[in-house]
Amino acid sequence: MSSNLQFSSSSGEPRVTSLSEIDGQDLKVLIEAALTWLKTNQQTVNALNVFPVPDGDTGTNMLLTMQAAFNEIQNSGERNVGKMAHAIAQGALLGARGNSGVILSQLWRGFARSMDSQENMNAQILVNALKEGRVTAYKGVVRPVEGTILTVAKDISIAAETSNAKTNDILQILENMVSEADLSVQRTPDLLPILKQAGVVDSGGKGLFYLFEGMLRFLKGQPLESAEVSVKPLSAINLSNAMEKIEPGQDFEWVIDFRPNEELDSNKFYNDLSKIGTSIQIGEGEGMYRMHIHVPDKNRDLPLEFISKMGTILNWTGENLVAQMEKQQTYSQPVKINLAPVVPGQIGVVVVSPGMGISRIFASLGVSAIVEGGQTMNPSTEEIVKAFENLPTDKIIILPNNKNIILAAQAATTVTLKKAVVVPSKSVPQGLSAMLRLEPDVDLEHIAADMTRALQDVETGEVTVATRTVEMNGVNVEAGQVIALLNGNLVEAASSIDEACLGLLAKANTADRERITLFYGENISRNEINRIVDKIRAAYPTHEIEVHEGGQPHYQFIISIE
Amino acid sequence: MDEPVKPLGNIYISHQAIATRANQSALESYGVVGLAAKNVVEGLAQVLVKDPNLGVVVHFDGQSMAIDLFIICEYGTRIKSVAASVADNVRYQVEKCIGLPVSQVNVHVRGLRISNPD
Repeated sequence: MSSNLQFSSSSGEPRVTSLSEIDGQDLKVLIEAALTWLKTNQQTVNALNVFPVPDGDTGTNMLLTMQAAFNEIQNSGERNVGKMAHAIAQGALLGARGNSGVILSQLWRGFARSMDSQENMNAQILVNALKEGRVTAYKGVVRPVEGTILTVAKDISIAAETSNAKTNDILQILENMVSEADLSVQRTPDLLPILKQAGVVDSGGKGLFYLFEGMLRFLKGQPLESAEVSVKPLSAINLSNAMEKIEPGQDFEWVIDFRPNEELDSNKFYNDLSKIGTSIQIGEGEGMYRMHIHVPDKNRDLPLEFISKMGTILNWTGENLVAQMEKQQTYSQPVKINLAPVVPGQIGVVVVSPGMGISRIFASLGVSAIVEGGQTMNPSTEEIVKAFENLPTDKIIILPNNKNIILAAQAATTVTLKKAVVVPSKSVPQGLSAMLRLEPDVDLEHIAADMTRALQDVETGEVTVATRTVEMNGVNVEAGQVIALLNGNLVEAASSIDEACLGLLAKANTADRERITLFYGENISRNEINRIVDKIRAAYPTHEIEVHEGGQPHYQFIISIE
Repeated sequence: MDEPVKPLGNIYISHQAIATRANQSALESYGVVGLAAKNVVEGLAQVLVKDPNLGVVVHFDGQSMAIDLFIICEYGTRIKSVAASVADNVRYQVEKCIGLPVSQVNVHVRGLRISNPD
């Protein structure tokens, strides 16, 4: 007798209360449920991977493997469960991707073989099939590493066997399997030190857990397309990144604190909310809850209405996200920067950049990675390494663009396996000047030497406001005065920015040079810039003068004189 | 092979040391059930001595390593995926252990072991 399950990812009443036998079609439906749930949790699994190898996305690999298995049976009307299992195993084998995918396909292979061509599967047959799957999977490796998907498969199979001793209900056995799988996944860091170091659980094991959990959730009528909601303590609720981008249907944001009339069923509550909006977060505090939701314009008033029926509203805030995003976009320029792609074997350049505008200029010159940093925010060696470690090339040039960052950059070259060279640029103009010499396909040492020579071609001027009273290089500076630095040395103190700029240009022998490029900072207005640039133009009418947005903090101007 | 000069002296790492690490990593890789001798002479020697470098050949050109692996796979696994992950695993482990870049890992599938006929 078959239970005639029909697949649907929506939630509702439990689909079965007990399950004594399943046929081929039931198995197909369960596989679809498992696949859907894994898809929902794919990124969670990917995030657990600790090996930085190219095919490291365990969640994606397992999903593609299961997808291939499901494609094989999608249109099959086969009622024989054994034949269905063979088809699944065949599909998984052909579509196996990555380590975890291969192991998964082996589990299926053993599972199918043990069932041979059974008409229906009962609890006993299920237990034997799981056992055979595990045995087959273990045969595929000489030295099985414990704390991986293999261990979880073993524990699941043992749990099935133990609970079969007490019951013949497949639903109950599945329930025990899932809770054991959960525990087994949590134990993986104790078995595999590298997981403990990274503070994660095994990704393949977690993926396997989701497969079985998906089947169980389906049978219980729980939703499969939205990730499980966990009610977090209020302090853990993170609303800061909820605003990064808005998607269609996220016009309004509501945060509502309320005290429910009766105990809150968090899953039901979540499901009800998911009908009116997205980005749902629920937090729990002392006797009260906080919920966060994004809703489309037409549902603008629903959250308040909905919550007011459930309990007492203590506090609420609502914001128009669309208007807010527009406001943000006018204040800050679009933040999209297109970095140059690198091909393996080519030279990749990583720069330290103090501002958005400067980053954009570097990107247009062919930089492959950018680390934010500058005068008062020196990036660490680790940040620099991280920036280039994932570039698909072994040849790296680092431009620190600040004399305080050169050491960190040099340290970065010693902790990486890649061949990295620092071109010790002390300022942004020097970095830009060096970038112009880059030829990504030429010998690394040769180009680095060439770029280092180019550092001398340019004079760097910087204009900022003095933070304290000082006497340096024979210049007296009072706090609050505008000062100018030429190649890092204080050369001018003045009462206004234009005076400082002109004084600086005079000291830099600008008359003998050809080109002046000004990068304006974040703390200066458009009118001010235009006024100053006009003065410079008047003073040096034959020079080529360019003005760019630099976006750097503290410095009103960074000036490059060539 | 030589490494660049270090302030306190030089470090020499033999091909055998690298081969041993590669051999171990290969055996920990899923789907690999053994390594195979690359030729008959080595195969005969293998009968007499258990060689920890079996099935691995290391080449070094002064900058980076190329590693050849001769493996036996489990019958019923997807050979392409197994070969790709053993190459990734060996490269990762050798680079981590030795500290020199591995430019190539060539995987030669020398045979299949049938433990469960379908």
